[in-house]
Amino acid sequence: MTVQTALPAPTTRSVVVPDGAPTRGRAPRGNRLLVWVFLAPTVIGLGLFSFVPIIGSFVLAFFRWDIISAPEFIGVGNFVELASNPTVRVSFLNTISFVAVAVTLQLGVALLLAILVQSRMPEWLRTFFRSALFFPLVLSAASVSLVMSYLFNQEFGLVNQILGVFGIGDIGWLTTGFGAKVVVLLVYVWQNFGFTFLLFIGGLAAIPREVYEASSLDGAHGWSQFRHVTLPLVSPTMLVASVMAIIGALQIFDQPYVLTRGGPGDETRTAVMVIYESAFQQLDFGLASAIGIVLTVLIIVVTAIQFQLSKRFVFYG
Amino acid sequence: MSITSPSIAPVSETRAITAPHSTPPAPVRGSRRGLATAGKYAVLTVAAFLTLAPVVWTLITALTPADVETGQANVGLGAFVDVFQKIPVLLYVWNSALVTLLIAAGQMLSAAMAGYVFARFDFRGKRLLFGLILATMMVPMQVTIVPVFMLIRGMGLADTLLALIVPMIPTAFGTFLMRQYFIGLPPELAEAAQIDGAGPWKTFFGIYLPLAAPGLAIVGILAFNYHWNEFFRPLILTISEQNFTLPLGLVTLQGNLGTGSVSTVLAGVVLSMIPAALVFVFGQKPLREGLTAGVSK
Amino acid sequence: MVELNRRAAIALLGLGIAGTAFSWPRLTGGDIPGRGDDALTVALFGTAQDAAARQSLVDGFQKLHPDIPVRIIAVQGQDWGNFFAKILTMVAAGTPPDIVSVATEGTQLFAERLAHPIDEYVRRDAAELQEYFDDVNPSLIESFMYKGSLFQLPDNFNAANVFYNASALERAGLERPRDDWSVDDFFTVARTMQTSAPGSFLPYYWNNRLWGGVVPWLYINDTSFLTEEKASGGDWLWSQFYPNETPRGGGYLWQNADALSERTIESFEVLQSMVGEGIAANPAQGGGNELVSLFSRGSVGMTAAGGYWVKGLNDAGMANDEYDVTFFPKMRGQRHQFGAGGYAMMQTSERKDEAWEWMKYCISVEGMSIAHQQPDSSLPRRSLNAELYGAGVGPAHWEVFYDTLDRFPDTGPMPAPPQQAAVESALIKNVVSTITNGPSGVRRGLETMQRDLEIALKGR
Repeated sequence: MTVQTALPAPTTRSVVVPDGAPTRGRAPRGNRLLVWVFLAPTVIGLGLFSFVPIIGSFVLAFFRWDIISAPEFIGVGNFVELASNPTVRVSFLNTISFVAVAVTLQLGVALLLAILVQSRMPEWLRTFFRSALFFPLVLSAASVSLVMSYLFNQEFGLVNQILGVFGIGDIGWLTTGFGAKVVVLLVYVWQNFGFTFLLFIGGLAAIPREVYEASSLDGAHGWSQFRHVTLPLVSPTMLVASVMAIIGALQIFDQPYVLTRGGPGDETRTAVMVIYESAFQQLDFGLASAIGIVLTVLIIVVTAIQFQLSKRFVFYG
Repeated sequence: MSITSPSIAPVSETRAITAPHSTPPAPVRGSRRGLATAGKYAVLTVAAFLTLAPVVWTLITALTPADVETGQANVGLGAFVDVFQKIPVLLYVWNSALVTLLIAAGQMLSAAMAGYVFARFDFRGKRLLFGLILATMMVPMQVTIVPVFMLIRGMGLADTLLALIVPMIPTAFGTFLMRQYFIGLPPELAEAAQIDGAGPWKTFFGIYLPLAAPGLAIVGILAFNYHWNEFFRPLILTISEQNFTLPLGLVTLQGNLGTGSVSTVLAGVVLSMIPAALVFVFGQKPLREGLTAGVSK
Repeated sequence: MVELNRRAAIALLGLGIAGTAFSWPRLTGGDIPGRGDDALTVALFGTAQDAAARQSLVDGFQKLHPDIPVRIIAVQGQDWGNFFAKILTMVAAGTPPDIVSVATEGTQLFAERLAHPIDEYVRRDAAELQEYFDDVNPSLIESFMYKGSLFQLPDNFNAANVFYNASALERAGLERPRDDWSVDDFFTVARTMQTSAPGSFLPYYWNNRLWGGVVPWLYINDTSFLTEEKASGGDWLWSQFYPNETPRGGGYLWQNADALSERTIESFEVLQSMVGEGIAANPAQGGGNELVSLFSRGSVGMTAAGGYWVKGLNDAGMANDEYDVTFFPKMRGQRHQFGAGGYAMMQTSERKDEAWEWMKYCISVEGMSIAHQQPDSSLPRRSLNAELYGAGVGPAHWEVFYDTLDRFPDTGPMPAPPQQAAVESALIKNVVSTITNGPSGVRRGLETMQRDLEIALKGR
């Protein structure tokens, strides 16, 4: 079992070419035609609808543009502005700390539940648990956030009413910095852990049963079995799951936008929210592009670091 | 809590079970094992409850709208009737269905072809190209939406459903997934096909593509799921009301400055959940199996 | 396992192609009537008026102007910001609408950058418009003036009044408050409501937003969070249409942050003590959707709302005798706050004359009545409100909506300079920390607010 991933980062790993694939430059004519025909939709499409706009916004980052009048070149002015703007700084810090907590929670909860669901139990129960845990994934983030804003209302929300029964007083879920952070985090993880959970179920199911039987005979049980058997064997899945979870969490927008509008203060303002606000509310499309570029670079760096680390920690059986 | 030795059960019937179901290794201490089992079920039950409770609450609220005469909450479908009276639900559903199905189909095909090439062929600049494709996943949509709208306008697609569909057919994530999938399929099949005299096209369409069906299912299901629920892009890219998708229509239910009835809003949410839930019911198994085979090879 | 054999695959593919071909008109929008026509394009905020009312509006307009085709673009969005994002994208792509419905929040932004002043048209059709101005309180007109020019004609407005639950007041054994009640009276009503209420109940519930949030409490204390000045000019309008009134100048200017004035601190202290005492909600940002249902269920004693609420409460099943409306209480004064809406003509439009005809139709008695068949906002024409609210749909004291303007001539729009979005965000995001950190937190919160407002107004 191996995962071969080409990196967005310029490393010097050689890509393993599957046996039987023609080697470079030697492809028969029919194959060469096939390669280009097959690549065309994706390459032309992404070129047109992703790359051109990305380059456009990269160029725009050096201009001041309100959409209405002509763009005005201001060099690195936008980058200077974003470095000195307290709201931008806070929103990036929020995003980074959010990603750290959300992704850890998402991976931890998903792995724990996947292990439990895959353990020995009646098949109908397994199906029920698996379905229930995966369900939030199919809902829209905006609708979920709307529903949650009713549930977490400080005075009348169901959550505080239930807590009240246990004698816990009114908690300002959406009106205190800490409470709002917690709710945004919970709602995000609630909605998104299902995908990671599915990935882990797949990863666990791929582990041959004999491995466990052999390790049991060697006297490994419980924690030690998890530590020495499950974890290494599931690590390739962990890599893919964590890369995707981080890329997703760095772009969080819907939940804080609907639940708190980034408040109270700037407590739940995220990087993508600031991009949206700079562009469509403050008509500063150059600044928005500059912030977008900083965020994109951050995402690329984090992903590259993950792949570098993975070489050390991921076990390929 | 301690984790019991997980006797991993086979996920699918198709997986060959080499070892007969052996009895689990004798428990070290019986009572501890019983406790662990109880703990396991407790954790799963709590997790399932926390996952389903908000959904159930939404359903209950939608089914108990306040009565216009008395103000009392009564069980009934009044809120759903309200949704149909306030917005052209069927038109919006039709639009949403067209958009999501065509995106899903387009992504499946284009991702399968590109993923196949990246998995099984070698050519100059391959790694760079693949890296660039993956990099496009990392740019937030809010950054590129204005240039995209200008492009669409230039192509004469402004204010059509195609404006929502065409830009989304090429997919970086789908390409990545299908590449993983094709890497996992044995290369010997191609050799065997070549010996049988099949050309490269036939090898793909006749042998590899059918085998990649689970991977295709994932790409399709994820695309459907994401675009069915999408709000921001349709808001910006559609102009005429006739082109609205369901999530846009649902906003109308919230009323002027949020004066809409909560039950009606939630009834709309429930209606929009139905197709997603169907996909979920029918798509779960292929999704799970596809991910199993695709990601952990 | 998904089994994909060749026959099924080919059938599926055929089905897909057939389906796509069948829905091609839908995919390309070819089935939309009147598409691609060269028409007067009107963009409006879709949630504010229902589709049927919009269609009758177009039909009514075309009876008068059969030669002007009209295309309505209804933008759906949770808020003004969504709406604005859409308009901007259309401008960027080179397809701006000819005419856009703009609320107070966007008036100065549009006036500064996008809208075309209508002074020449108003002067040209003065004779025809005189009856409109006679029927409209000048405060509403003034709110649509910017630097001496008029940009919009109000076709709906909402003043922030106090809605109260009639049975909550009855339970408390209280009479309807006097029109000039004081803040102390307000506290008394709130406390009595609370002690007499069963279950979960809040005497004063409110949303943290620009309209009806903290602003009414600042205005009744004759203060605000920005400095307020009047631009020069505008006499052409006042002398022509309101000859008996003192000229009001050329529109509002909000140019400097003013969150640390003594009166502003005082107003925030009032709110802080309400929240601290537990008789007022701790307002969350965003949201706001549950307020109508909480109020209609009887969980809320009082709240800040306007004429648009009547339809919302009616839809939620609240009878019109279960609640009533009154003025905000008095502090230093009793100035109220309103927001208004109307159409703005785009600078880029090549159909300005047709756009003007549309604007005129929408403020005519017929146009305004058609657009607002249900009480989804108060109407600038004094004469039309009786029909809208007086037929047993509105609360007993529905006259309060318009009396707010007539009785308190200093009543004005909430502060919305061209940098409105940044300013609103700077205000809203600091409200909660200002009123929830005890009496000592008020000044600290307002210092941060002052800083953020200054950054917002700097406007790069």
